[in-house]
Amino acid sequence: MRTFFLHVEEKSPLLRAHPALKILALLVVNLLAWILEAPIFLLALLTALLISYRAFGIPLSRMARFLVFAGLIAQAVMVSYLLGSKIPGRVTYLVLPWGSYVTDMTLLYSLTMILRFVSMLVGSTLILAVMRDVDIVYGLKSFGLPYSLSFAFSLAFRLSSLFLEDFKMVKDAMLLRGAKLDKGGILERARNYSRMGVPLTVIAVRRMNELSYVLEAKGFASSRKRSYLYEFKWNSLGICAALFLVGLVALALLLRLSTDLVTFPGWPLV
Amino acid sequence: MAGVRQIAITGVTAGLCLPLALFAIILVPIPGLPAASGFWIPAGFYFVMTLWFGVWGALGGHIATVLAMGYFSGYTLQVWADGGLGDLIAPLVALAIFKAMGARPTLERKKDKVAWIVAVPIASLVCGLWVHTVNLLFGVITWPFWWIGVVTYLVGDSLAVFIVGTPLLKALTNYVKQSPMYIWRD
Repeated sequence: MRTFFLHVEEKSPLLRAHPALKILALLVVNLLAWILEAPIFLLALLTALLISYRAFGIPLSRMARFLVFAGLIAQAVMVSYLLGSKIPGRVTYLVLPWGSYVTDMTLLYSLTMILRFVSMLVGSTLILAVMRDVDIVYGLKSFGLPYSLSFAFSLAFRLSSLFLEDFKMVKDAMLLRGAKLDKGGILERARNYSRMGVPLTVIAVRRMNELSYVLEAKGFASSRKRSYLYEFKWNSLGICAALFLVGLVALALLLRLSTDLVTFPGWPLV
Repeated sequence: MAGVRQIAITGVTAGLCLPLALFAIILVPIPGLPAASGFWIPAGFYFVMTLWFGVWGALGGHIATVLAMGYFSGYTLQVWADGGLGDLIAPLVALAIFKAMGARPTLERKKDKVAWIVAVPIASLVCGLWVHTVNLLFGVITWPFWWIGVVTYLVGDSLAVFIVGTPLLKALTNYVKQSPMYIWRD
């Protein structure tokens, strides 16, 4: 089945979950990774998420394209902490002329921050692997967001491919008139391309007017009570899962605010 | 509450800015910072759309940024709170400055031009402060890099908005005035 950005097998139990549960899970995974600051807990979270891929029938190979991004984030974090932090530790490896230094704790903290981002990435990808555009629209609606906003969100997806076509058309027209779009350095090229803005904006404004007339003609009004093609019902398993997820965040917050267990360096290094 | 016009503004602005955001990331990437661009082309468009059509234009920019940045660095809370919300705040700051100064996006009077010249750097600065404070809170950068990030963001974003946005406002505001969605009434 085609989901938000992947093709996954229909047997995955997560696919059948209530859209609101999927969005809740997406929030919880990210919040947990943000609240937890102790490396051991983040490592446990990451391990649990990786095991979940297996348990929910999501091929881990789908993560491959995100490894590059994880690598980029990792090097950005390392550069920032190695060159610009002052975290006291037991061993100092390097003192830099501008006053920052590198200790054993600098390395541990930067690795913890990398673990935090990788956990968010792995967790979000797990949930998005089973999320369809229908889930996004209905899930947002379940959380009380007006249907019109969810509809605007799905419009963005549909219209972006149309604008890509417009972009190609405008580019061809400008090239035929002798424009040299790829001339010069990176900024010069960006400036050349930005000249396509005027025709593209005219197309966008026309499309806005036409779309509003079409929606009005079809009787699309946020104030009216509307019916829906799909109906999603909560089952007991879904409710238990939602309570478990909310409970996890509450527990992590409680530990963060009242103990040193999940605050860096955290258990067992406290 | 959102009516059909507001939905059309948000959906079309997002649809226009989404490929431009992807294009900006590919065309002028910043080494070491995934999903960032040294020339954020869509900013010029959603700033202008916000000045013409109000909050809903900014929301379209926000949706486009979240989708485009997420495509290149994963759809995480950090990406959403970082660039996504930052790009929602920035055009709204510019709109607030225009309203406060009683300026119009036609850029015909001196007052309008001054408002544009003042609003863009202030909005970019607010956005830069937001983006890099979120980065700091999520532990991606440290304090010394916070300053570097804010200054480069201010310069890079302002440059993109001025280069892309100014010709759009000058050439098209009178055309857009005919649209019932245009928010300024003289």
